[in-house]
Parts: sequence; structure tokens; C-alpha cells
Amino acid sequence: MSGSRFPAITTWRVIVAVIFGAGAYAAYARFALGFQRSTNLVDAQPWGLWVGLGTLCGVGISAGGFAIAAAVYLLGFERYRQIVRTAVLLSFLGYLTVVVGMMYELGLPWRIWHPIVMWNRHSILFEVSWCVMLYTTVLALEFSPMLVERIPWRRLRELYLHWHHEILIGLVLVGALLSSLHQSFLGGLYLLAKGKVDPLWYSQYLPTMFYLSAVPAGLAATIMVVYLCTRSKRLWVDVGILTEMSQVIAPLLYVYALFRGIDLYTHGGAAYLFLWREETLLFWLEVALFVVVPIVLLSQRRIRTNPQYLYWTCATVVAGFMTNRLNVSVTAFQTSSGFYYVPKWTEFALTLATVTAAGVAFYYAVTYLEILPRNPPAKQWLMEKAAA
Amino acid sequence: MGTSRAILVDITKCIGCRSCEQACKQVHGLPMQSEAKLSPTALTVIEEHGDRFVRRMCMSCQDPACASACLVGALKKTELGPVTYDGSKCIGCRYCIVACPFNVPRYEWSKLVPFVKKCDMCYDRQVKGQPPACVEACPVQASIVGTREEILEEAQKRVLLDPKYVRHIYGTEEAGGTSVFFISDVPFQKLGFTPVPAQQMPVLTATALGDVPTVALVGGSLLAGLYWITNRRNQVLLAEGKKQPIRFTDKTKGKS
Repeated sequence: MSGSRFPAITTWRVIVAVIFGAGAYAAYARFALGFQRSTNLVDAQPWGLWVGLGTLCGVGISAGGFAIAAAVYLLGFERYRQIVRTAVLLSFLGYLTVVVGMMYELGLPWRIWHPIVMWNRHSILFEVSWCVMLYTTVLALEFSPMLVERIPWRRLRELYLHWHHEILIGLVLVGALLSSLHQSFLGGLYLLAKGKVDPLWYSQYLPTMFYLSAVPAGLAATIMVVYLCTRSKRLWVDVGILTEMSQVIAPLLYVYALFRGIDLYTHGGAAYLFLWREETLLFWLEVALFVVVPIVLLSQRRIRTNPQYLYWTCATVVAGFMTNRLNVSVTAFQTSSGFYYVPKWTEFALTLATVTAAGVAFYYAVTYLEILPRNPPAKQWLMEKAAA
Repeated sequence: MGTSRAILVDITKCIGCRSCEQACKQVHGLPMQSEAKLSPTALTVIEEHGDRFVRRMCMSCQDPACASACLVGALKKTELGPVTYDGSKCIGCRYCIVACPFNVPRYEWSKLVPFVKKCDMCYDRQVKGQPPACVEACPVQASIVGTREEILEEAQKRVLLDPKYVRHIYGTEEAGGTSVFFISDVPFQKLGFTPVPAQQMPVLTATALGDVPTVALVGGSLLAGLYWITNRRNQVLLAEGKKQPIRFTDKTKGKS
């Protein structure tokens, strides 16, 4: 299965080892030396890369799971059933990275359970914490059959899968709601910082904007992951599905762009669009990567139908999405705080190590579990799809 | 909130002796050396702006952003006026620091078990009927304490009677009103007071939170309705024999 068949894998293993080594040192720095020695966070920028990249992007990129699951189980788009496991696995691992990230992001991580018993229903973060807890549980349950079907005891396996099937629709429905609320609430966190968040990004509709941008980003990430699986693990998937998904992403991006544009205009952020500031540059980078380039590329049939081109287009969407989240969480605070935050290398290392760990887990899951179809359903059918 | 206490800082009277800083540090058992900015070991400081001395401290908002932000309710607005912090609840998320429109809370970044530090208007002293240490220490009554009504009345009187004052009591509008007020003869923008939205900050998130039941109800019904259609379609296909039912048994025997 592994190693010997792909000699290149050793290079990857070296890279992964280096990342884990750096991450291990960064974890040591965080827990043995403290925030001051391991981060560049200050009171003017109390949330940095770990929140902006780890939490905001981690959750956003995991939006594909609920979208695909709802499409298959609730709306009956049967063709997507072949990638629903990939999407759920991606979301599950994405949420796990967020939870793991919390362990080094929080100042007192051993109290992470406090929100379960100490309630403040006026706090958006309280709602976020509950959504993360509940939705991670839902994702774990949605993912569980992939492990359970490997249990050698038939009775137990059948019993579990039977009951899982009974509750699956409920899980997917609750998951879709929790995830939708949660995606928007992450934007809602910044509502309270009115006056601190740059007008290019502040809006009372931040929650809506976070939701509208997370869905296309999540779908794009799912396409990327499916493509990588089929390429490196010789798994099979109907290429037509990816094309179809990209045809969903494009209109979603249109809707987002339209909404964002109108909002900038009505909130007065439009006056800042062409000011000579670093914020302006990063704003346009975000718009270019997340909206303009993908919309232009996805309008090309040649790109929609070619998995490799599609992969890179989706990579642009995800990069643009990440730029947006980092802009909201870091760039937007620069002027008001008067502090120029550049993350310390240990911050990068710890986030990178967490994401890499999820990547490795994904690799082994795809290798040893039934995530994507292993055998081509019908070669000729695939060829047809690729050619069409 | 008739018993609610407030502090008035008259910037025209402050002579910059830093007795308030020292008293604060003494009462809270903090290292005594003077600091230029608020820090975990300096809960109130005198900042120099031109030839004026501006005291900085927690504004003790009427409806504090930090208290609405705190997911475990560690920060609370008390009946008495001060906004208190219960370190035993805090999980260290630092959302209060993000939320505070006055940039007051400080985090113990250098510690391995870090907490949030901010002025709590000497809540423990005020409960016992004592004035906040900083006010008590002020030799020229630049800071005075009283009920919120008394203090506001006094501030209004001074601003109205003496034309040297800027015609604004800082803290009446900012963040929807605070329990610490400043009056000055120099425009506040020149004294390092950052512009703060003139509204109760928690209102900003209340709308989003208020939408939750609606979203859950409408979204839930919509998805359930769509599922009903899907399910019905499947049933028809099953009945017509165009589709096989899903089974979880390896062989035909057993549950289905």
C-alpha cells in the first residue's frame, strides 16, 4: 500500500518529520516558556495566527462536510454519495485540528470544559463553543461507520450500523444547522469589536458574510482533497461530480461578491477601497483570489472539466478564503491598534504541525478505510465523463 | 441602580503626582515601580499628553462588552458599579481583550498560568463602604467617587459653570455609558482618548444571537421538508422496484 510503491514518499516523510520536529519545539515553547516566548501576541493583538488561521480557516474549510452530507442524505443527490465520506472525513479532521488548536491557543486549556457548566448566553463565543462541541460530536458519529465497519465482530458491527442508519438523517440535519450557525457566529465574534475592525471588513452582516464565504471554500477544499485522493491513491471518482461542484461554487462566489459589494457600499467601507494603505492591498488580494480569478477561471469549460485545472482553481478559492479570514482577524485591527503583528515562527510551526497531523491522519484513513471507491465502477463511463 | 458608584476624573485638576498609581499597586500587592502604560502590574496609570495628565483605568461600562463577550461569565457588571473578574472561571480565550472598546484588559503574556488583569474599581473595598484606593490617595481631588447620579450631576455642574471645560463628559455616551467619567479643558482626541461607538456594545451581538431560534426553526423545517420529499421519492422508487433497500447484514439473514 505505502512506501515502496511510491519512492517519492520518503521525501514527504522527511518533510513531515521536519514539520513535526518544529511543531514539537513550538509546543514546548508554548507550554514551558509561555505565550511571550512562543508568540508575538500582545494586548493590542490578542488573537493572532492561531485564531485567524487555525480556528477561522480550519472551521471554514470544513464546511464541505455538512454541505455534501445534506446534499446526499437530505436532498437526495445520490451521485454525490461516492464523495460524501471524503467530505465528512475532511470536516471531521478539520474540526479536530480546531479542537487541538484550542489546546495551545487558550491560556488555560485545562479549563476547556468550563463552558459546559459555566454559561453566558449573551456571549457569541459561548454559542461558538457549544456549536464546536456538538458539531464535532456529530461529525465523529457521521464518521464512525468508516471505523466500525472494520470491527471483526459481525453482530456488534451490524447493530451499530443499523442504529447509525436510523439516526443518520437526524444527525445530518442537526449537523447542517449547527454548522451553519457556527460558521456565521465566527464572523459574529467580530461584531463586538466595532470601532476596532477596519471599515473594509466591519459590517453588521459579518455573520452572513462568513457563512456565504465558508460554503464555497468548503466545497473547493473538498474538490481538492478528492482530486488528491484519486491522484495519489488510485481511487476512483466520477470526474463529472467535481465539474458539477465547481458549477455550484461559481454562483456561490457571485452571491458572496454581490452581497459583499452592496454591503461595502451601504456601510461606507467603499470610501476606503482605493486609499493608499497596506489594508487596501490585502483587501484586493483577497478579492482577486477569492472572487475574481476563480469566477473567471470557472467560467471556462476547459477548466471546469479538467480535474487538474479545477484543483488549482479551487486552491485559489481556498487561498482567497484564508486571506479573507486573516484579513478580518489580523489586518483589520492594524490601524486601530497601531500594532503591526507578524506571527513568530513558532506560531506558524504549531499550526502547520497540527494541520500536517490531520493530513497524515487523512492519508492513513484513505489508505486503510473505505473512503472512496477502490475499483473503477466502469472504466468506459469514467472516460466518457472525462471527455464530455 | 441607585447604589451604583462612579468615579469622576477632572483632568484640569490632576497634577501628575501618581499617588493613585502607587495606592493601586499597594492595595493589589503589585510591584511598586511606575509604568507608562496599563499592564498586568499597573491597573491604572497616568499618561502624559502635552502638559495634561490623563489617568487610564477600567471604565466600568454600564453594559460592558467584556462581560457580554466572556463565554464563561467570568466578567460581571456588579450592582455597585465595578466590573469584576473571576479568575477561577477564566479559560484564557482573551475575547474580552478583543471586545473592550477602551483597550483596557491586560493579559499576563509572560506567565505560564496567565490571567486577565484589569482595574475592578476596588470592588472589595467598595463593598465595605471604602472608596477606591486611587480616589482616596488623590491629594487634590482630581478623582472623586460617589453614586453615579451624584457624580454625573457634579460633572455637569463643573462643565456648565466653567467655560474652560470641553462641553462633553467623556463616559456619558461612549459605549452606551460608563461608571468612570472624564472632564477636560483640552479636546479628548488630543489626550489619547480613542473614538468609541456611542452605543451599548452588547447590542451589536444581541441581534445575531436573537436570530438563532429563527434560523434553527426555519432552516430545520426547510431541511426536514426537503428530506420528506427525498424520502417520498425513494419510497416510490422502492415500491416500483427500481431501487434496492439498504441492508446492514453481510448475508440475507438477520436485521434489515
